[in-house]
Amino acid sequence: MTRIQRETIANLLIVGFGLFMLTWAIPTYTPPYPGYGASPALVANVSIGVMMAMAGLSLVRLLLALFAGKALPPQEGEFPDDAQSTGFTQVGRVNLYHLALFIIPCVLLIVGIEYLGYVPTAFLFLLVLQYAIGNRNWFKMTLFAIIAVAVMYVIMRYGFGVPVPGPQLF
Amino acid sequence: MEMIIAGLLDAISPASLMYVFMGVAIGVMVGAIPGINGPMAIALFIPITYYLTPLTAIGFLVGLNKGAFFGGAISSVLLRTPGTPEAAATSWDGYPLTQQGKGEKALRMALYSSVAGDFMSTGVLIAIAAPLAAVALFMGPPEIFALISLALTVIAGIGTNSICRGLIAAALGLLAGLIGTEPVTALPRLTFDIYQLGGGLSLIPVAIGLLAFSEILIQLERFTGKGSGEHAANVFSTKREDRLLSLKEFFANTRTLIRGSAIGIGVGAMPGLGAPVASFMSYDQAMKRSKHKEEFGKGRLEGIGASESANSAVVGASLIPLFVLGIPGNLAVAMLMGAFMIHGMQPGPLMFQENAQLMYGIYGSLVIASLFLAIIGRFGLRLFCKAVEIPAMLLYPIVIFTCIMGAYLGRSDMFDVGVMLTFGVIGYFMRKFDFSYVAFLIGFILVPEWERALQQVVIISENNPTMFFERPVAMGLMALTLFVIGKTFWSNVRGGRGGRAAKA
Repeated sequence: MTRIQRETIANLLIVGFGLFMLTWAIPTYTPPYPGYGASPALVANVSIGVMMAMAGLSLVRLLLALFAGKALPPQEGEFPDDAQSTGFTQVGRVNLYHLALFIIPCVLLIVGIEYLGYVPTAFLFLLVLQYAIGNRNWFKMTLFAIIAVAVMYVIMRYGFGVPVPGPQLF
Repeated sequence: MEMIIAGLLDAISPASLMYVFMGVAIGVMVGAIPGINGPMAIALFIPITYYLTPLTAIGFLVGLNKGAFFGGAISSVLLRTPGTPEAAATSWDGYPLTQQGKGEKALRMALYSSVAGDFMSTGVLIAIAAPLAAVALFMGPPEIFALISLALTVIAGIGTNSICRGLIAAALGLLAGLIGTEPVTALPRLTFDIYQLGGGLSLIPVAIGLLAFSEILIQLERFTGKGSGEHAANVFSTKREDRLLSLKEFFANTRTLIRGSAIGIGVGAMPGLGAPVASFMSYDQAMKRSKHKEEFGKGRLEGIGASESANSAVVGASLIPLFVLGIPGNLAVAMLMGAFMIHGMQPGPLMFQENAQLMYGIYGSLVIASLFLAIIGRFGLRLFCKAVEIPAMLLYPIVIFTCIMGAYLGRSDMFDVGVMLTFGVIGYFMRKFDFSYVAFLIGFILVPEWERALQQVVIISENNPTMFFERPVAMGLMALTLFVIGKTFWSNVRGGRGGRAAKA
């Protein structure tokens, strides 16, 4: 995927999001105008307007660059060699597998903590997280998970007086 | 006078001293870890400050920020891996000194330069913030509305290569900040019938997700599978002259330190520039004015002094626009502004009237934090150097777990953990697609004040937009805002016609 393609997709998504907000979300989920002051939808509409205008502008610019047959110049922080060969940079690559690898355990933690409680879920979560990062020493992993869960429990319960999430195990 | 004395007495209370001390120590520690910076640390620790008094909370966070600025120099000098972006220039002369076995001397220079810049900047803040705030009190809703509009457009350029994308991010931040109860009608707005959103999105999970969690997700792409941390070798020489910094060596750089501090103060006081700009500008000036230009980049103490004095001077000075106008000039200050708001205060000129004792207490804490930085840095240097060696396999699980529990801690609600994860993913994509998460967050923080000013303008003027023409300051600010937006449009159109593309 080239940078032009990537930016085109991003800007199209923004325009699509703007249309969704303007046509459905803002009218449906904004209180009616009370008869004085500014409309509750004004700032939301202005924000969406700015987003769509900027995204539209970027799209026009990208289209013009596309028709001119020019690649976008590499930006600051990107790797020029990589950008020249592929039109895309290492910095910009989205690694969905990697994202899922860390987000899914976090989502499972939220669900699990409601049913199992803080201690077992957090312990399992830390084991999975360490495994995902590349740790394979089960003794160290277990020890670390126990210490981290215990320390956080003590800080929450006795430091701040906040109940730990989920059904109370202790 | 009574307020000043009472505020200063608050600042030297045992609890306040303890939290400032802890803030500085933790700040230096986290700043030394490559990839964790001041704003990220503030985001992670803000939930804790829920349980503190306003002064101890702000003192702790200010100490954290100051400590992180110096901490960034540690990994910069030892590993050539800047812990914070503003410490990049420090590595140019710091790392060569480490290679020569003079790492400790380089770190001492960085520490004392940081403390010098910090003291000068804090002095300027104390001297001018209150008088300027008195002037700013004459600003009415039109001026405040215009000022925030300008700030949002100027800040849109931070953290992105394109102001266009910055404005999109700022607008998205405004939109996210509108979720919750609408102030005039007191009815839910954009909540999608999710009752937890009735009170709006809390700053804590949003900030942790955008600043910390998304950053960790990005860093993990590089670090996954790496077993150990970095090793800092040849840091501590056995030779006394390689380890210690003599008074003569330090004072030989007095001019550089004063110049660097002045640059840092100037840059810090202007919203939107940030510490890296000050650091690079100061280094550049030091090199141009030095009699030993050829030694820069090869291990010259003057280079370290220039960079560190400037970036540390930004910390105090960046509080000037916050205290005077209620505008955060950079991300760290935006997070501090969030902390003020969590404690029920709206930063701005009125703070000197409504919370005078607290303000002088904060001044006291700022000075004390500088003193603690000097002491903690001096005696804990070797310990903090160990922070750079923390293995990724231990560090990242701790940070992720802290993100989750921190998001929960704010309102004791797992819903906020979901919000944090959502904004973590949004932040991940924003970083990947070069949309400024800084502009998003500042837009998110500023929107309540912006909308309040807008409502006041509309009600006072009875829906008459020509009100701005009767207020020259507001008109000037709005004209400047439109100029920035117009310039962005023009440069984009020109770029699209082959301007930028043709240069490729």
